[in-house]
Amino acid sequence: MKAKISALMDGELDALEQGEPMAALGTDAEALETWRTYHLISDALQGRAQLAHDCLRRVMARLAEEPALIGPLPADVVPPERSRWFAPSALAAGVAAVAIVGWMAFAPPQGAAPLPAPVAEGPAPTAVTMARRATEAPVRLPMTEATRDYLIAHQVFSPRSSLQGMAPYVRSVAAESHPGKP
Amino acid sequence: MSRTVCALLLFAVAGWAQAQTTPEALEWLRKIYQASEQLSYSGTFVYQQRDRTETSRITRLAGVDGGTEKLEVLDGAPREILRTRDEIRCYLPESRTVKVDRRSDPRAFPALLPERVDRLAEYYRVSMEGTERIAGFKGRVIALSPKDDLRYGYRLWADADSGMLLKAQTFDREGQTMEQFTFTHLEIGSVPRERLRPPHAAQGWRVEQTAVAPVDLSRSGWSVGAELPGFRKIIEIRRMLRAAQPVAQMVYSDGLAAVSVFIEPMSGRPEAARFGLSSLGAVNVYTREVADHLVTVVGETPAASVQRIGNTVVYRPQ
Repeated sequence: MKAKISALMDGELDALEQGEPMAALGTDAEALETWRTYHLISDALQGRAQLAHDCLRRVMARLAEEPALIGPLPADVVPPERSRWFAPSALAAGVAAVAIVGWMAFAPPQGAAPLPAPVAEGPAPTAVTMARRATEAPVRLPMTEATRDYLIAHQVFSPRSSLQGMAPYVRSVAAESHPGKP
Repeated sequence: MSRTVCALLLFAVAGWAQAQTTPEALEWLRKIYQASEQLSYSGTFVYQQRDRTETSRITRLAGVDGGTEKLEVLDGAPREILRTRDEIRCYLPESRTVKVDRRSDPRAFPALLPERVDRLAEYYRVSMEGTERIAGFKGRVIALSPKDDLRYGYRLWADADSGMLLKAQTFDREGQTMEQFTFTHLEIGSVPRERLRPPHAAQGWRVEQTAVAPVDLSRSGWSVGAELPGFRKIIEIRRMLRAAQPVAQMVYSDGLAAVSVFIEPMSGRPEAARFGLSSLGAVNVYTREVADHLVTVVGETPAASVQRIGNTVVYRPQ
């Protein structure tokens, strides 16, 4: 198998021959280790020796420790330190985008004290809570009997009625929906 | 030019572009408030939220008794809500139910009073954004942009003559519209009283009365730890939900947006509790369990706000 992996790396196998070593890389830990070792040898020979043997493992371990902030976040979980630059304003979108670039250029170096959050009270969200929030994007609220009761009870006290009269009550009498229905 | 200087310049530009609160815009908010109190009107409006669009008719007859108001949903099942100063009645044909929410003391009800409008400027930048025609009326546009990410922003279109609210939009931090109310037809002026009668069909429907009483929750060991900045507790009551279930309700408000915290025993609920976050237009709901009780936070605020307030609910037996 080692010979086949070596040949695979060197591009010496045709499409049919590639199948067996490729499958082994997915299932056989020893084959995968061989693949990594050969790449390390190759890197060393080509002067890229700074890549340590267990680099991948360490990167993966570090990634596992990172809060789940990779990928698009739901609107409400952008960390507050940065979110203020997203605040709705009369800015044209283009200006806002440039301002964000400016913000990134202006960001403190790693390890420096973070800028004060816009909210003074309460603890800053920790990596743990942020990670949890990222997985808790709101699902659609099912319009059940209980939901309706909460919405009516809440609406009664919303000062918004002072501006808009009864119109916001329309939310609390939405047609019945069933859990699970999109 | 260095990168830092460049960035600073951009910030300066961003600062200039950000509208500041103007006395004119605050005056318009007062005008909208007075119009909603004093005017009689009848009109059709469209409510839009994500993929939901619903047309409703609203009729209001002003009066010294606080006026009478009726909302009729015109799409789907003909749901109706009647409101007077003392009570709210929801007519729900699907379940043949009338839900009655009686106000024991109308004066205790929070309202955005004209003298409190100035306080809104602490949490929102209130500014004018030009004019736009809505349903044949000349609308002055007033924008309320939140100063932090604990609340949504609003854009209000007010009739230039009467101050009547013609259109209202709620937007999030990215400027995305969360929900929108727009009049498509509106007539300002007196309406015949018979148009405010309850629906005939409702005879024989089940009536669910909600009894509301003031309560001091801290005496029973419940507390909300850190309140949201700008949100003050405006009321603390005990009410019945679904006719039999006693529920405690605390309401927090920044003068415009409100957040309710409901606390009820886990046992005796007719349906299984759903934990976590859910949303409906601009309303976010967060549910969790604390000491065998169900805590449900309902608010016209971003999800992070309802979650934050919900996570500080604590029970310490006395």
